[in-house]
Amino acid sequence: MQKQFMLGNEAIARGAVESGVKVVAGYPGTPATEIVDHCASNPGVYAEWSTNEKHAFEVAAAGSLTNQRSMAVMKHNGTNAAADFLMHINFTGVKAGLVLISADDPGGLSSQCEEDTRILIHNYAHVPVFDPSSVQEAYEMTKAAFELSEKTEVLFALRPVMRINHAGGMVTYDDEAKPETRKADFVIDRSRYVMSAVVEKELGGELRPKMRHRWLNEKQVELKAIMEESPFNWAEAGEGEVGFIGCGIGYAFLKEAEQIFGKKLPILKLSTLPLPEKKVLDFVKGLKKVVVFEEVEPVVENLIKELCFENNIALEILGRDTYLPKEGELSAGFVLTAIENVLAGKPYPDGENKYIPARTRTQCTGCSHRGLLTALKEVVKKNGGVVTGDIGCHDAGTFEPMKLQATIYCMGSSIPMAYGIKAAGFDKPTYALIGDSTFFHNGLTGLASAIFNKADVTVIIGYNSTTAMTGFQPHPGSSNNLTQEGLKPMDPGVVAAAMGAKVFRCNPYNVEETIKVITEATAQEGVKVVVAEALCYLKFGREGKISYTPRTVTVDQEVCNGCSICVRTFGCPAITIVDKKATIDTSSCNGCGVCISVCKRGALK
Amino acid sequence: MKFDLVIAGVGGQGNILASQVIAKCAMDAGYNVVNTETKGAAQRGGSVLSHVRIADGEIYSPLVPQGQADILLGFEPLEALRYINMLSKNGTYIINTAPVPTILSNLKVDEYPSQEQMLAAIQEKGISGHFINATQAAKDLGNVLNTNVIMLGAFTAISDILPADTILNKLLSMVKPKFHEGNIKAFNCGRTMIKA
Repeated sequence: MQKQFMLGNEAIARGAVESGVKVVAGYPGTPATEIVDHCASNPGVYAEWSTNEKHAFEVAAAGSLTNQRSMAVMKHNGTNAAADFLMHINFTGVKAGLVLISADDPGGLSSQCEEDTRILIHNYAHVPVFDPSSVQEAYEMTKAAFELSEKTEVLFALRPVMRINHAGGMVTYDDEAKPETRKADFVIDRSRYVMSAVVEKELGGELRPKMRHRWLNEKQVELKAIMEESPFNWAEAGEGEVGFIGCGIGYAFLKEAEQIFGKKLPILKLSTLPLPEKKVLDFVKGLKKVVVFEEVEPVVENLIKELCFENNIALEILGRDTYLPKEGELSAGFVLTAIENVLAGKPYPDGENKYIPARTRTQCTGCSHRGLLTALKEVVKKNGGVVTGDIGCHDAGTFEPMKLQATIYCMGSSIPMAYGIKAAGFDKPTYALIGDSTFFHNGLTGLASAIFNKADVTVIIGYNSTTAMTGFQPHPGSSNNLTQEGLKPMDPGVVAAAMGAKVFRCNPYNVEETIKVITEATAQEGVKVVVAEALCYLKFGREGKISYTPRTVTVDQEVCNGCSICVRTFGCPAITIVDKKATIDTSSCNGCGVCISVCKRGALK
Repeated sequence: MKFDLVIAGVGGQGNILASQVIAKCAMDAGYNVVNTETKGAAQRGGSVLSHVRIADGEIYSPLVPQGQADILLGFEPLEALRYINMLSKNGTYIINTAPVPTILSNLKVDEYPSQEQMLAAIQEKGISGHFINATQAAKDLGNVLNTNVIMLGAFTAISDILPADTILNKLLSMVKPKFHEGNIKAFNCGRTMIKA
């Protein structure tokens, strides 16, 4: 055995590789992204960035049916996108171990929403879930998930939260693990792998979906027995008649709070779904009250309520549904406050809010999106148009000072929403702003829908050749994929033209040209696509590839009248107003020169 | 032994590198180490808080509990103020006094507090510590990007949890050789800024 400091995502990848994973597929999304990268660096593992999570899941599931252990990797929003496939693979079951990593982001630190995928994966799809409480456990659970998935023929899910994925910790791992090599073998079994409403003659003429549902429901008995024996659940004795239940990372915060509190408490650690029901019933025996700490929704809390009701146990069960704040991340402080107040018979106190000036995010200095946003804003200022936004670095254009996009929902929403506004009768132009990675993820179908429905909309694709938001993963519009160099990029403009859109092109570092092109596109009828093409400065600048001619920007102090347009509407972080004059911070300015065209007085040179 | 460190700064200031250097040194020294960072969707110029927890026993939470940190390194004064409550009453801080304005303060939507206001609000907590202008010192040495290295050097002047040369050598092993000379200068400069 070896001990090493690892990021949670690296530990998950390590566990998968030791389990002999052969096929790994995902789509980048914080906090899960690094898992795929760490798997890819292992010889013998096929790893890919798929265009979206549904396809990643399908590729991995096919790996399992071909008798190779496989893994699909995504964040919670991605699992929503893959939900359709999830609801089918649970009915067919799997062959070789298949593990779904669905990372949650409690608190929405890096997401458009916070949600609890245990509800989708377990309560809805009836799939077992492991909820790790430490980096070490994330590693161990990944290995257990592969073993158990294969043994039960059921998909297993690991649901790490941000504080597991992006935490570093000491991991003891098996440095001599030699996973078996298997022959790829696809055995056709249409009775299982063809999900269709066909009649099962041998089963008395029942329809297949109903029979497979019955199989899944019967599987729950086996899964419950496994969780009862699972080493990931245990009880700890302590003082008092109030018990505390820690689920996943909730256990880590509970143990920390217990140390600060300074008294041994009765604690039950629950890290699996289904719940180990006997363990729970044994634990609550003799207690008056239990408090459940889980991220984020009251999933375990409600299951324990049901369990106690069924067993005629009168017990006060407190948690997210009944006592604690219903939203946000847990912390040791959060848990300690709960322990102190529950024991004192008081309600959970309201937090104090003392505002300290926020540090909102924006585009990097030198980013091409700032030029694009500026140009688009100029256009809609004149024509009263509405811009719908999408996911990616450009979405920071929604906030101060750009305040441009009127909506941000999920991957690919921008295009259907932009033409939906028109369909509802809005008489001014609408613009859908989308990035290249998102365009391939879920924008293509939206664009097809727009063209098919004869929409009148202008789609603007920020084509910077990478998935910049999550750390520069490649996508079909890039010149490489996860493992190979030298692919011919799929140009989103060429793709859109083939679909029937009128395509225009501009370099967003040239604001005037971009305004002109967007204006021209707007004047045309139908579905227009403007491809604003410039390499991501942050990624490609390091490689010496940039889409502008770098220059040293200076301020003519005589001409600058301190109007602060460069700060108020353009918002480049490298510009500040000092003594009523614009000042360039030379250490952060990357010389893109876009600000020059923003200054109408010509003070920036 | 248990030691909790938090580093507060602005995305791009080298906060995460500094936390990794300390975490790796502690691990080499045989300690148990857990770390994480709170950067959220704010990595591009946003607020970043790194947590480094070092102990010779079990560590459960990757997040330093509020009011428990032994040391707060503030790479930027507003961010230090934002997270000052992380510090234990017996803890100490080193805060870089050079402000990085926020987008909203540039726009006059928010008011970026004055130096006096921030320092007063920090001192009001009754916790002892040091204020240094690490950004200016890094500029004087020729590279503002070495602000984090100055802060790392300063850290070694107030904490003996790990030997200073171990931290410096670990840092050098993680950056390109062409930056070594500048890093050594900045690191030593940080140490003397505290002694002075």
